Amino acid sequence: MAVLRPFNKLPELNSAVLLLVGSEGDFPQKLAETILQEKRDFTVNIHIATSLPLPSERDHLRPRIDMIVFMIDIKNKHSLKNVEDSLAHVDARFFLGKVCFLVTGVGRVNCCSVDMNAVWKLGENYCSPVLFCELELEGTRVSTAQRLLRMLQICAGYVPGVSALYFNTLMTSFS
Amino acid sequence: MQQSQSSKTPKRPLQLRDANQTDLSAWRKKGRTEPEKSVQDHQSPNDQKNDNEEDSLKQAFRYFEEVQDRVSLKNSILQEHLTTVESVALQRGLPPEGFNVLLNVALSGKFADTVNTRILKSLVPASVIPEDSVVSSVSWLCVGKCSGNVQLLFLKWLITVFDFIDQKEQLNALYGFFFSFLQDEKMCPFVCHLLYLLTRKENVKPFRVRRLLDLQAKMGTQSYLQALLSVYKLFCPELVTITLPRKMKAYFRDPEGPWKAAINTVRQRNQGNTQVSRSLFLGTAQPQSQKRKWNTQISIPASSTNKNNLEEDREKECVDLYSTNESFPVEQLQTFSQLVQNIHCLEFPSQMGSVLTNPLLLHYMNCFRDESVDLRLYYWMNQTLQQECTWCVADNSQYEEEFKNFLETLYETECFLQEGFSSCEEFLYKSLPLWDGFCCRSQILRFVSWIPLRSSSEIKSHLYGPLAQLFFTSSVYFKCSVIESLKELLQNWLNCQVTHLDSESDSEGHSSNTTLSGLVNMVAELINFVGRISTVALRLESSHTLLLHFILDFYETVCDMYLRYDLPLLIMPPPGVFYAALLSMDSVNLNQLCYIMYRYRTNLVTAKENELSKKKILQFKFSNQTYQEYNKYLTAMVGCLWTSNAFQKDIHPQGISMDDELLRKTTVPDFKTSFNIVCHPALMTYAFFYLQQAFPDDTTVDFSLIKGKEWNRYLEYLYLQGLNGLKVFIESSVNRISQASHSKSENV
Repeated sequence: MAVLRPFNKLPELNSAVLLLVGSEGDFPQKLAETILQEKRDFTVNIHIATSLPLPSERDHLRPRIDMIVFMIDIKNKHSLKNVEDSLAHVDARFFLGKVCFLVTGVGRVNCCSVDMNAVWKLGENYCSPVLFCELELEGTRVSTAQRLLRMLQICAGYVPGVSALYFNTLMTSFS
Repeated sequence: MQQSQSSKTPKRPLQLRDANQTDLSAWRKKGRTEPEKSVQDHQSPNDQKNDNEEDSLKQAFRYFEEVQDRVSLKNSILQEHLTTVESVALQRGLPPEGFNVLLNVALSGKFADTVNTRILKSLVPASVIPEDSVVSSVSWLCVGKCSGNVQLLFLKWLITVFDFIDQKEQLNALYGFFFSFLQDEKMCPFVCHLLYLLTRKENVKPFRVRRLLDLQAKMGTQSYLQALLSVYKLFCPELVTITLPRKMKAYFRDPEGPWKAAINTVRQRNQGNTQVSRSLFLGTAQPQSQKRKWNTQISIPASSTNKNNLEEDREKECVDLYSTNESFPVEQLQTFSQLVQNIHCLEFPSQMGSVLTNPLLLHYMNCFRDESVDLRLYYWMNQTLQQECTWCVADNSQYEEEFKNFLETLYETECFLQEGFSSCEEFLYKSLPLWDGFCCRSQILRFVSWIPLRSSSEIKSHLYGPLAQLFFTSSVYFKCSVIESLKELLQNWLNCQVTHLDSESDSEGHSSNTTLSGLVNMVAELINFVGRISTVALRLESSHTLLLHFILDFYETVCDMYLRYDLPLLIMPPPGVFYAALLSMDSVNLNQLCYIMYRYRTNLVTAKENELSKKKILQFKFSNQTYQEYNKYLTAMVGCLWTSNAFQKDIHPQGISMDDELLRKTTVPDFKTSFNIVCHPALMTYAFFYLQQAFPDDTTVDFSLIKGKEWNRYLEYLYLQGLNGLKVFIESSVNRISQASHSKSENV
């Protein structure tokens, strides 16, 4: 049961690694594909997991992870639980700006089966921004991909003068 | 009810067959590109098909009309007619005269439920639904020949197509019948919705209120009951004394059903085919609105009064409009002079939404500010915005264009009325966190600019929070648009404050937030918010020129608030913005900064003068801090542009002052002169071209040649290049008498 740590490996030159954690069908896959299609000036590496912890046997092959996105599907009660359980396997230092919660399925609020207050609370407790999107829609998926990419760029340290922690504080302090 | 038939006339279509035929062919023409040509190319296959369809539809109607006994489901003739009706309905919608027949059949229980359901589901209007067909079907409902499911489906249908019913006078007369259906637990939500649409002031009676309250006691607080109660409360506040939440998430569930999609298809189809169709088919639609938005999916209803005696009115019109006590029908309102003449006897249309597309009615609305008018509009808009929102309701995504147009209309109306709608504000607050920042971007950001001034606490958590999140994670162009719309918001607030000051005498009903101090606080909060996000944005986008331009544009409004809007507030830009502009590589930004600093100076000097002369008793005066901040900035600017000692004289804590020792270590030659009007990176190209012009023979570009008289000539050259901001700044803030100029800052 390895805990995922942000700084125990060296970063690779000009590349950033994103970890998507979510169990909602093929949405993580689709989102990853959309992110990879976006224009950017550094290499993006995306790992997808349905839950944490990651298997420990291939750990030595895994690059350093710059940002974790936890996907919560509001139509699926189980997904919130899954994320909450996974959070236990993340090192506390990740929450200094390298974690983001992505709430999906907001286009079907009628079928919402997750307590939205619990989601807000989760973001608050873990000092991490909560983004909302509807991955079913092409346009929204693209814009979400762009937003995540921007955050990843900052988390990987490619924006001079802006650190992940600083950005995280900005994202959470205005509300 | 002068011209209406008795409500239960099953034979009507038969008797009027001739008239119907013309109707039908007119309806058929509508599906064609050029109606006039129909006679000539009668033989074209397309036409043939239409003719066939029309014939079979007529036959189907006749069949349904004449069928007497229960027919077996498997009957092939029945099946054939059913299919005809269904296919035509889904493709082109049904003509008005079909509804009576089909509704009668479906609700009379002649057929099995499956057939009735199929018929009901295919009732898609091509244009309007005659009121009497609905009335007669309600009477079937009361007879109770049809099953609960069919009743339920009928109600859902009625709610969905409510706006297509041509008149509602008789329907409203059946209010009591509908009301009695409330006791059916299954139907209750839909009946509530229908009543909500139907209720007028005269329908609100004490016994009905009591009944509703009883129901609420029995069933608990249900949103649909509360919605109906709130309408009652709106019309008769004295009858409904319980407190209701003013803002509800959603009053009613979407009635669903297959019709909405079909109506859209039919509408889109018709829209594509003809230009003239709408006004022709809705005899009562006012011509003004036909120009735009009528054919959109989100229908803004045409305005119609609850009068049946239109024809009569029209005859009377020229005779004695002044003497008549009756209200002037809004359909006939076409010119401004008509509005002025009839302003005493106008009545708002039964569908409040229609005022949006009618400028005359908007004028009228502006004159008669009535809470009930606002609330009627508020309810309708709330409902529409919620149901049609394309990112909150994924199923709507294909109608993005229509939703965009709808938002556009709302925005235009807001501009027309010069004030924001509270329903738009609420919609914004509710949907911003869920918004992707992409869909309907410009429309949503424009809404931001019309957020009313009164909501201080809400704006902080509902607007600034989500907006900042989107802002930081989005592209530089999005950032520019956000700053732009916040600038417009500020301007709208300031304008509103100016007009408010003008009309201070009649300031009843203004909340405490619109007092001067409340306003100043809100404006200050907004400016500080923009200052914060601008600083971050410039950092994130590495001082993008375009972004900087938008930010400075915002400060162009801020720097003039005292003189232009009489607001005792001046806030300097944060250092993150000031230094980014001062050291920018682009002369446009630098020029803009110079202009802004000049305006700050003018405002501050005037304020100081007013303060000293004590002409006015000042409620507020600028704190010394503002003056000090200004002076620090000014010193830095003069050092940077004029005296070449930016690194020595800058006293701002976040400024660019540096030790000579440190500067020497950078090994930059002539670091002392690296910032002045000649060598500033934004102005260096000007200096280069000036040198080429002044010393055409000198190929070694030597900037040090520009000094003394040459310096003055160079300055003139810069002014000629359109750097007016620089001109006014230097003329006002730099003392040119002694050559070694120094800043002429105010006596603090």
